[in-house]
Amino acid sequence: MVSLTINGKVVRAEEGEYLLAVIRRMGIDVPALCDHAAVEPYGGCRLCMVEITKESWDGWKNYVTACLYPAEQDLIVNTHSEKVIELRTSLLDLFLARNPETPLIQKLAADHGLTKTSFEVVPEPNDCILCGICTRVCDEMGFAAISMVNRGHGREVAPPLNEAPPDCVGCLACAQACPTNYIKFEDIGTTRKIWGREFELLTCEKTGRPTITREFAAFLSKHRDIPEEYFKVNDEAHRDELASTMGRITRWSVQEETK
Amino acid sequence: MNSRFVVKPELCIGCRTCELACSFAHAKNGRPGRSRIFVLGGGFKDLFVPVTCLQCEEAACAKSCLVNAITRNPETGAMDLDHDKCVRCMACIAACPFGCSLFDEQQELVIKCDLCGGDPACAKFCPTKALEYKPVTVRALRPAI
Repeated sequence: MVSLTINGKVVRAEEGEYLLAVIRRMGIDVPALCDHAAVEPYGGCRLCMVEITKESWDGWKNYVTACLYPAEQDLIVNTHSEKVIELRTSLLDLFLARNPETPLIQKLAADHGLTKTSFEVVPEPNDCILCGICTRVCDEMGFAAISMVNRGHGREVAPPLNEAPPDCVGCLACAQACPTNYIKFEDIGTTRKIWGREFELLTCEKTGRPTITREFAAFLSKHRDIPEEYFKVNDEAHRDELASTMGRITRWSVQEETK
Repeated sequence: MNSRFVVKPELCIGCRTCELACSFAHAKNGRPGRSRIFVLGGGFKDLFVPVTCLQCEEAACAKSCLVNAITRNPETGAMDLDHDKCVRCMACIAACPFGCSLFDEQQELVIKCDLCGGDPACAKFCPTKALEYKPVTVRALRPAI
């Protein structure tokens, strides 16, 4: 355990715990766009920037991303100093130039007093904030079907060579985890389209409702040791099966008792 | 883990108070959640079976979760789903052989029974004690095969 000061309050934290987690636990609102509990911190959005100093640093201060900076003994953290707000505002100014029509960015920028960017807006703005949550979630799950490509203003999330990704299983985790709903997918009947690839959804034998894609089911049964027949029935039919089994057991035990 | 969730279908009268209690216990931002317990017909006349997560020993939901969002809570014995970690890939919903991991369209969350953190609302409200959460006194025996 280490003790440090955050906004004038002394708090205790686990050694090596990242500052953002400690700050969030105190209920202080620090914006962070690339933070997701399922993946390692990334330090991509830079919005969780905080001011750190120590008594022994002789008034010297440093500005670090809270999501990547581990808690240290006697650290003095200021999450909303004038300089930090200024840094965040200029970052949001840049975000607004790239994603002028994204509600998430608009709201954050408005909270910092910005309604319009002072930079030139990119020619074809989209909703991708390049937080990398989609690619990191995909890596974490073990597929690594998509990644960041290009550099500078051309940076984007894409499958290899911009073709239908062979490693994708169509689990939709990237689209579901996307904070701005930029990743588009289509579920029509028993087909699912994402990243330019078409998947066939398994359908429940009893209710006819789609469950997950054939590829995802095959992956789970191969690597996670789950019988493939589990995927052939949806949750509703599974519950009915359980109810009738429990019903039969109850009936039988009641009959045994009354004998 | 000193207490177990006990279901006695022969005592259930099918009033569905447990479903209501569950919905309200898991309300978020003023929206009631989808119930994690279901009162279904047991296949016989006048027999109702409350179906909910069995908190399996070797749980398929936890095995299927590729980001390890489902873990055993050592205090309550429940398989707890961490909503911050969950990426909503629906693997656990498809994998659960009892259909007790489900998707809440209202709150847009994957949900499962968490035993309300050690004090299940459904058991508290059950009028006939068909649902109980009580300390384990006798160890359940493994059935002889």
